Amino acid sequence: MGAGPSRPDSPPVAVTDSLGRHVQIPARVGRVLSLEPEVTRIIVALGAGDRLVGIDFFLRHQDRLFPMLFPASRALPVVSNQGQDLNFELAISLRPDVVFASPSEPAAADAIARRLRTPVAALASVGRFRSLLEEMATIGRVLGRQERAAWLAAHFRDRLSGLAAALGPVRDADAPRVYLSFWGSLLRTPVAYEPVDAARGTNCAAGLLPSYLGTAGATVPIETIIRWDPEVILVQGNYPPGERRVTVESVLGDPRLASVRAVRTGRVHYTFGFWYWWDPALVLVETLYLARLFYPERFPGFDLEAEGNAAYKEFYGVEGAFSALDKVLGCHDWLRK
Amino acid sequence: MTGSASKTRAWLTWAALALPVVLLVLSLNLGSYPIPLKAVWTTLTHAPATGPGAAPTPYADILFRVRLPRLLLALFAGAALAVSGASLQALFQNPLVFEFSLGISYGAAFGAALSLVFLGRAFPPQLAAFAMAVLAVLLVVLIAGRSASGIVPVLLSGIIVSALFQALLSLVEFVANPYALQALIFWLMGSLSQAAWGDLAVTLPVIGLGVLILILLRWRMNVLSLGDDEARALGVNVRREKALVIAVATLVTAAATSVTGVINWVGLIVPHLVRMAVGADNRKVLPLSAAFGASLLIVADDIARSAASFEIPIGILTSVVGIPFFIVLLKRSGRVWR
Amino acid sequence: MKVRVEKLAFAYEDFRLEVGELIFPDARVTSVVGPNGAGKSTFLKCLASVLPAPPRTIFVDGRDLAALRGRERARLVAYVPQEASFTFNYAVLDFILTGRAAFLPTFGAPTSLDVALAEEALCYVGLDGQLRRSFFELSSGERRLVLIARALAQGSDVLLLDEPTSFLDPRHEVETMALCRRLADEKGKTIIVTLHNLEMAVRYSDGMVFMKNGRVVASGPPRQTLSEPLLRSVYDMEMRIVECAGWVFFAK
Repeated sequence: MGAGPSRPDSPPVAVTDSLGRHVQIPARVGRVLSLEPEVTRIIVALGAGDRLVGIDFFLRHQDRLFPMLFPASRALPVVSNQGQDLNFELAISLRPDVVFASPSEPAAADAIARRLRTPVAALASVGRFRSLLEEMATIGRVLGRQERAAWLAAHFRDRLSGLAAALGPVRDADAPRVYLSFWGSLLRTPVAYEPVDAARGTNCAAGLLPSYLGTAGATVPIETIIRWDPEVILVQGNYPPGERRVTVESVLGDPRLASVRAVRTGRVHYTFGFWYWWDPALVLVETLYLARLFYPERFPGFDLEAEGNAAYKEFYGVEGAFSALDKVLGCHDWLRK
Repeated sequence: MTGSASKTRAWLTWAALALPVVLLVLSLNLGSYPIPLKAVWTTLTHAPATGPGAAPTPYADILFRVRLPRLLLALFAGAALAVSGASLQALFQNPLVFEFSLGISYGAAFGAALSLVFLGRAFPPQLAAFAMAVLAVLLVVLIAGRSASGIVPVLLSGIIVSALFQALLSLVEFVANPYALQALIFWLMGSLSQAAWGDLAVTLPVIGLGVLILILLRWRMNVLSLGDDEARALGVNVRREKALVIAVATLVTAAATSVTGVINWVGLIVPHLVRMAVGADNRKVLPLSAAFGASLLIVADDIARSAASFEIPIGILTSVVGIPFFIVLLKRSGRVWR
Repeated sequence: MKVRVEKLAFAYEDFRLEVGELIFPDARVTSVVGPNGAGKSTFLKCLASVLPAPPRTIFVDGRDLAALRGRERARLVAYVPQEASFTFNYAVLDFILTGRAAFLPTFGAPTSLDVALAEEALCYVGLDGQLRRSFFELSSGERRLVLIARALAQGSDVLLLDEPTSFLDPRHEVETMALCRRLADEKGKTIIVTLHNLEMAVRYSDGMVFMKNGRVVASGPPRQTLSEPLLRSVYDMEMRIVECAGWVFFAK
């Protein structure tokens, strides 16, 4: 409860956010407003969830898992809709000491800072682990939870190095070429998605320019996908099956893709993907899952559910969270091919 | 007019009408997957021989499943937008009218969005698109009132109705789940990338029939363009024939919009350019508008999919060309219209 | 063809038109005169079915106009408005061809016969050779003649002209009225014109109809109907009728 172990006259914390903005945040942060689901999840993982004074529309109404990770969120007022349209009056009345925003709308961060007269930091990982870990460290500094942040980061890195060791050396030529179909469209793909890289796959879209600053997505013509001829196609599955526009079946049945290797060999699978950026626990599990998908012979005993529950326990201290997610997404089926 | 001049005219006309087909064949060579010219020719001519599992190269897939449907959609949609724009201009006696200024574009977009978000992919969005587009036109006529032949009231009510449907569209975006929302936003910017034979099986025949009907009515539009009173005095059943033209023009626009999203300005630019070249007689303006509208959209789509490594939404391309053109039109004291 | 009007009562916005019994004789020129707001244009538009007159009030050649379908009606009655709507710059020929709408099916287009009739009509009004010019290039007098040519191409026996001489210079005024005369004498058309110019009306009409406040005040051959008391009551001003060199003038 209350602010972290910083003395009342500590100097402000200097932060450089994902947009390169330099923000000065007071040393004692008791009231936090986070408009960015990824940041909110990290705050809860760091054990500072009680400092949240408001929540965004998505986490309250559309994220199936979050209320289980942080039940108190049900009592928090909703301050924004779909990530846009901050309810300024409500936000002002909540008197936050700091606001975390999304870098997808570069102008919004400054606008919020001006109107709320509160420091605003725009943070997101945008598909890279380093950014995610930096983000965790930054939030830890701001909230005085550096130790916890460092611990989680170390745990994250340890799992990744363990994975790299288990994979062993993989030649670039042997790493499968992967195409990711995200955001409800066959043609929209992230230009950076590090879980694929960490699992020793190659993202076909790496190196493309994203559609605009602050996002990770690019739109490619279907001929480009055919030209890339990926060995594996991953479809974003972090949605309930009924809401999915693009499914494994629709990709396998698409006559235009009939000549693509992944379709011919049936290597079209679901993965989790972004869901308003990342959940640090889930993205760790996803990386392990992808490694198992790409190199099944090296991970014969992989148990997705066990790994998932362990990760969520580690980050959020909640039992059986992944199993609850599984009930919604049906991900226990994803490896059964 | 001398014989040779009219012969040249006839030859030019046939060339203009053949242009879209020529462009289509040429455009089959464009795309981010490199297919050598010779291979295009052999694949096209030996189509029956290329079965699934035959050659490892996906030439046939790309030509017949990716490029051809997309180009056909460009051809039909371009013709639809241009012809309906020309028809509505004649009907409302107003060369600044086109499907956007009558609210048809956004009405259709709203209808299709409604269908996509709430009824899913199984239900063809063309029905809802048409229904909402008709509603939009009715609203425009209602709001413009009796002075439906004056330029300003029609444009104003068109803007109001467009704004209304844009707001409703925002509402749909608001309540859509994020998955559907992403797909919807992309579609709204206008793109021919969704051209698959399944969608086209319904859309192309509808557009083809509608455009044909409008072209058959082309002389009649000369009469209707004189205004309700004069047309009535000349013996035309104004109410019925106007309703027919509006319904068909709305239908083809809605059918095209429900697959491509909102592609604006084609219905304004093309008929005006054609009128500047051949005069106001709709017997020439309508078929040539169809041909040039088709050609324009094929070329625009070629740029959209080949200019960069990513896909440029075609609605943005036509806007970039169309908006300055509209401004120029507004300022000119036209040769072909008051 | 004879045009007969019987108990026509028509309300239009704040205006009320009431015409009892009126006959426009066959192959004659009848002018309808009266002050502004007398209802001349409204009356003409009712005759033209531009405004919806009640049934069994207007009979052309014995047939009830309101009972006819548009196509048949247009073959009987042609309307020449005061001003053409010219949003689009049609060629003169194309403009005149629109007059053939009553003879063509909805999905039809003009044939060489229609074109020949259009050319003939244009020659008759004295504008042969102007076929390919565009409408915008014409002077207002020429435009008026093209409108009449269109009515001629329409083939109707009854021609209704709304203020055909307004905004024209004297020479064109005379030409237009002379044309109306010829249409009645040479082609046997029934011509009904609304006019402001009383001199023209007297000179060129076989009959005159005086209207005021939506009612017919007097009708008949000009010289017999005209009188200074009539003019005073219709126009609310003193006028003197002066005859000079075969013309009748109205000194105000």
